[in-house]
Amino acid sequence: MAQDTGGAKDAGSWITAAKPEFTALVDDQQIVTQKYHMVNVPTGVWIDERGRIVRPNEVAFIDDRFKSFTNMDSAPYIDAIRDWAAHGAKSTYALSEDALRARLKPVNDDRLKADAEFALGEYLYKEGKGPDAIPHFKEAQRLDPDNWNYKRQAWALSDADRDYGTNFRKEVQKLNGKPYYEPRKLPEAKKGNDQPD
Amino acid sequence: MRILLILTIIITSGVAAHAADQKTLTVIYDGVTTEVAVASNSLTDLWITTSDLTRATRFVIKPQGVCRDELCFPLPKNRKAEFVLKKGATTWFNLSEFAKLINQPVITDQKNGVWYFGARAAEQNGYLASFAAPNFTLPDLNGKPHSLSDFRGKKVLLVTWASW
Repeated sequence: MAQDTGGAKDAGSWITAAKPEFTALVDDQQIVTQKYHMVNVPTGVWIDERGRIVRPNEVAFIDDRFKSFTNMDSAPYIDAIRDWAAHGAKSTYALSEDALRARLKPVNDDRLKADAEFALGEYLYKEGKGPDAIPHFKEAQRLDPDNWNYKRQAWALSDADRDYGTNFRKEVQKLNGKPYYEPRKLPEAKKGNDQPD
Repeated sequence: MRILLILTIIITSGVAAHAADQKTLTVIYDGVTTEVAVASNSLTDLWITTSDLTRATRFVIKPQGVCRDELCFPLPKNRKAEFVLKKGATTWFNLSEFAKLINQPVITDQKNGVWYFGARAAEQNGYLASFAAPNFTLPDLNGKPHSLSDFRGKKVLLVTWASW
């Protein structure tokens, strides 16, 4: 599910190279980001046969190519997916209703405004008015400061240093030890940097 | 002949003046873009005709309120004039005031004449009680649309990524 304002133009070559045997979709309006209240990629959501969420948003690496940056091992997550595929609702990793309630948080008014600002910025960018989009992207970033999707996508559409006075590397440095991804909460807390429920 | 010419000039001028008064703005509602006629370029209020209201938002003014499908928002009786205004043969509706009434975020870009109406909290948070995964429809690389609901009966691992 590519979250790319540039749509197939930006995401297409990656999908073609991956030769996916699964359904690969292109989301050029961050529709999934907004509907599921996401803030980063890769984010995974598990959904059962009835269309019900089993595990909500969590970081979803399926290999270790960014491990040196994330310090996050993909193996526990892949094992968890396999366990759920085999055991369904009886899987250790399928969350109870109480655990789901604890994790699913309503969006606040600032996030809703940020979504609208970002969407308006995307519209202007696609209309060929890139400079006019920037104030809206900046406002979206101000309203939802932990949303890396809104930061990184906006920076990628122009010269980040020139137009935003920052870039990805500088912003990660500003985290000052705070993890870039919210730690996963898989039951095996001892594996990698997963946290207990 | 002279009278006819003067009359023609007056009528033509009238049409030109009306055309100059007639402004259009862009409304984006539920992600759908619509050009609408507006009464003025007010920075604070967006008055559109009731036919444009339905064209841009699918909402219709009914005796019980402003409605779309099963959804109906009653207008406060003592504030009706803030939302509906009859001017000659045209009925105007204040879409921006309506957005405030229903707690809908509204973002404007005055330079480009765009009003963006975002999702309401009730829409975005509706799934939190039922845990029903919000549906969406998106294209694959060939442009073929796929909906999450197409996968009912199968487990779905939804993973987002990006090229940036």
